[in-house]
Amino acid sequence: MTGGADTKGVIFNIQHYSIHDGPGIRTTVFLKGCPLRCFWCQNPESQTLEPVIFLNTERCTGCGRCVDVCPERAIQIIEGKSQTDRNLCKGTGKCAEVCPNEARSLMGRTVTAREVFDDINQDAIFYHNSGGGITLSGGDPVAQPDFSISILKLCRDAGIHTAIETCGFARWGILQRILTYVDLVLYDFKHMDSAKHEEYAGVPNDIILENAKKIYHELRLPLLARVPVISGYNDSSENLKKTAAFIANDLGTDIKVHLLPYHRLGETKYERMEEPEKAVSIQPPDDSKMEEIKKIFESNGLTVQIGG
Amino acid sequence: MNARVERLKERLKMEEYPICVEKPRLIIEAYRQAEGEPAIVRRAKATAHYLDNKTIFIEDDELIVGNVASKPMGLEAGSLGPTWPKEDIEDLRKAGLALSDEDEAVLRSMDDYWKGKGRTLDERQGQFYDDERLWPFIKSGILCPPWKKKDEGRGQGAAGVGWGLGLGLALIVVDYAKVINEGLNKIIKDAEEELRNLRYTDADKIKKGDFLKSVIIALSAIVRIAERFGDLAANMASKEKDTTRKKELERIAETCRWVPGNPARTFYEALQSFWFIWIMIASGTTPGGRFDQFMYPFYKKDKEEGRITDDDVLELLECLRIKVMQYNFVGGGKLQRDKWAGMARWNNWMIGGVTPEGEDATNELSYLILEAAKDCQTPHHTITVRVHEGTPEALMLKALEVVKTGTGMPAFIGDKSYIEYLVGQGVPLHEARDYALAGCLDVNIPGKSRIHAFGMFITTRVFEITMNNGFDPRLGVQLGPKTGEFEKFKTFDDFMQAFKEQLKYFMGLTVEEHNILLMAQTQLFPDAVHSALMVDAIKVGRDALDRTLPFENGSALNLVGMINVADSMAAVKKLVFDEKKVTKKELKAALAANWEGNGYGEIRKLCLAAPKYGNGDPFVDSIAKELYQFWADTAGTFTSAWGGTVKPTGISITAHAPGGALTGATPDGRYAGETLADGTISAAQGKDTHGPTAVLRSAMTINQIPFQATLLNMKFHPSALASEEDLRKLSLLIRTYFSQGGKHVQFNVVQKKMLVDAQQQPEKHRDLIVRVAGYSAYFVALGKPVQDEIIGRTEYAGM
Repeated sequence: MTGGADTKGVIFNIQHYSIHDGPGIRTTVFLKGCPLRCFWCQNPESQTLEPVIFLNTERCTGCGRCVDVCPERAIQIIEGKSQTDRNLCKGTGKCAEVCPNEARSLMGRTVTAREVFDDINQDAIFYHNSGGGITLSGGDPVAQPDFSISILKLCRDAGIHTAIETCGFARWGILQRILTYVDLVLYDFKHMDSAKHEEYAGVPNDIILENAKKIYHELRLPLLARVPVISGYNDSSENLKKTAAFIANDLGTDIKVHLLPYHRLGETKYERMEEPEKAVSIQPPDDSKMEEIKKIFESNGLTVQIGG
Repeated sequence: MNARVERLKERLKMEEYPICVEKPRLIIEAYRQAEGEPAIVRRAKATAHYLDNKTIFIEDDELIVGNVASKPMGLEAGSLGPTWPKEDIEDLRKAGLALSDEDEAVLRSMDDYWKGKGRTLDERQGQFYDDERLWPFIKSGILCPPWKKKDEGRGQGAAGVGWGLGLGLALIVVDYAKVINEGLNKIIKDAEEELRNLRYTDADKIKKGDFLKSVIIALSAIVRIAERFGDLAANMASKEKDTTRKKELERIAETCRWVPGNPARTFYEALQSFWFIWIMIASGTTPGGRFDQFMYPFYKKDKEEGRITDDDVLELLECLRIKVMQYNFVGGGKLQRDKWAGMARWNNWMIGGVTPEGEDATNELSYLILEAAKDCQTPHHTITVRVHEGTPEALMLKALEVVKTGTGMPAFIGDKSYIEYLVGQGVPLHEARDYALAGCLDVNIPGKSRIHAFGMFITTRVFEITMNNGFDPRLGVQLGPKTGEFEKFKTFDDFMQAFKEQLKYFMGLTVEEHNILLMAQTQLFPDAVHSALMVDAIKVGRDALDRTLPFENGSALNLVGMINVADSMAAVKKLVFDEKKVTKKELKAALAANWEGNGYGEIRKLCLAAPKYGNGDPFVDSIAKELYQFWADTAGTFTSAWGGTVKPTGISITAHAPGGALTGATPDGRYAGETLADGTISAAQGKDTHGPTAVLRSAMTINQIPFQATLLNMKFHPSALASEEDLRKLSLLIRTYFSQGGKHVQFNVVQKKMLVDAQQQPEKHRDLIVRVAGYSAYFVALGKPVQDEIIGRTEYAGM
């Protein structure tokens, strides 16, 4: 049954005491799967729906135990270190189970909505006392709509405040169904030029901007705009001015803006996924640059905060 | 800080701290003169002799006066027993304490007075330690640290006890308000009158006579030394060229000639009066009481009458911080010093909480005390914020702003849990609401109770002894009762039962050790100064250690490492009894081999993966709950030599390190010798991997109400305390914990050092969360380049 408590989905983390993903003390559930492929992505392990193996080569001693247990025979020892053929790997996680050095770990596990809810609900007293709740993030919750709805419904029934963090790239019907159970939307704005958006994130932005307007004007849901600042890609004053103007004029000035300076936490993750060629090296914007950007948004009458 | 405070603070930086010998020399001199007199009189006379002959000086810039030792920043060597053995003195010198060969000889020459005469605590205690029962126990280190010789205790030698002779190890929040509001002359007058009317009709009256005489002798000497400071200041003023300083010195002269003999009239006088009485009773653990409460009337009056500004008050509070920093303490043998981590001390000032009527007690001084700690950052005195439902959010935010600076203070405690505990112990509600902590966390009613919680009971040692049917593998003797071979237990409950039986047996021995220690102190350390500042002191007419106080918590059983026991029990239950993945024999062999060889590493891995306390996992949390409840219930079945029942408590200070060093491998996956869980409510290091709310959920499972203290450490990266919004959320986290019976929490804002350590030893820091923008990650899960960057950033942030 769609939206039932036994709906299964894939998550890769549940983070308690999340204090930067909406009001109060929250728990953030990171779902697998994302319709976008931003090349600066901080959580590349979240992009696919299937679980993915992380390999920390520094810890690998080349003992070979993983080789023996892999049902797909995807692992070889080369020059004293294990290597995974990513075309064969199905993310069963057998290698991570036997690895004695914690060099291999499985990112992603299949769970039911009820299991996620039971974990979330343990912190109910903290949500109630702080005006907090849960935030579905990812990946992107739109990649697993039925699973997302199931979790959100359970939370709603339990009186827990719900938020989602989304890129907004989804058919309106799907998004609307999810948003029925959502109290707050954290909405990402990556680039205002559709061609650039497609170049950097893999898809154009027209649907994203349309959806934002519908959420704000038709559903009248509280929105919180999140703008990542990626040096050299979306931080031109032209683009930022357009972004600010869109939020202020096409949506409304009551929308709070969070400027998220790029950070390098994700840069080593591609190595762990054995795709070093995808790794990027981007300089995080400095504080004075962030202050300048903040002023651009403020000049549009918006309330701005640096950091989430 | 203004320029004066900055100069004063600068002078705290010492290459070496001098150990001084003036005090022990004068004290022994007086003791010898008064040989044969009752102990309390003799000690009062010795106190007076020291105060009358003490070297006094006033340093540049000082507003609050009263030098601690005969040299600036010095520590007066102890006057309660022989000095350190030669090798300890060398060790201390390496640790930055200076003692000339000449002074060492002076100290050594006094050893003769103490040694072999039953005059020290150690010797007195040792006299009771029979070879069969108590002595093996004392040597075992279940009470940490272990003794090596019957007459040398846990190591001899100490320096840094304040101006008085003290009460030995007992901790008391004395009635500071009485001294400040009424003056010592009033107490002296009361004592004189009581003495005049005393009729020696029974044994107690004779004791009372000695007591009253001692009070008069000791308190008069305190008034005299204050007057000496007054004269010195006047003299210095007459020679001072700088007109501003001249005025300051004149004011000091006037103040010291007035307090603590007379009732303080201004905030400044009250503060000087406090300092005189505080340094008189100072030991390593002397608390500041409800400082924002008893000082407030003076602040308010001065403000109303335009005599003082908040800047003046801030300056004075910072001068007091400096003054407390001039007082240092180092004591005991090497293990004892390790246990107390160097010059650690617990001078704890309370702020906030409720009034005896139940109203919010927060006032302007509460904020200024926090501001002083933020502005003038020194490790002492520490501050504890009493939190109740009506604590203003502004106070929480101010306190968290100080936490954010990384100084580790203030700590937060829950009024609800403490007051419920006290009321449950029969303390009237209005008195319970007036509690203050002594030491780091021990509950006291000012002037009406005392605590004694030094016995660090290493529960993991008892676990290991239970695994061996009462045999202690460390000492190689049968130390406890035979409660069954581990291999033969049919159910987990049988094993748990055996552990409880062993625990109860060793708790009983600990209570005996405590009683011997308590009575030794009563005999050896009567102290007129403390005693005169207890409730109804003059009427009762007895030494503070020789009377049953209104709330009697003189004896406490203090558990260390119980979280490791809970984790170990959970591993045994799951792997051995429930899932039968590991046999009893294999587990025992793996522990004996310290997990080395024979595939024991695999068993260790299974043990490490078993549920761990601190993650909100009911499987192990329920075991922890059961163990803590057993500890509390069992403690209450024993009685203390000072009266009342023995109280359960949980403050490990730093005993988890030496305690761990004494314990072999445990089924929680710990190696032999590895440190135990810190605090008593904290998870084992790095084992809480589900964030702060999960830690608190585990902690809230344990019924903390029956404990007179518990301790929870949490660590945060500065990014979790960046904005005011972050602080509000943290405040709500604290309040939620306290609403569910939590007693205490303190925060360690991560320093660069910890991050570097986490990079090198990730297994110990799995719980360390770093946050950047909207993203959180476990620090140890990040790649080295990213870790390096965060380390750099933390440093950059100046945290």
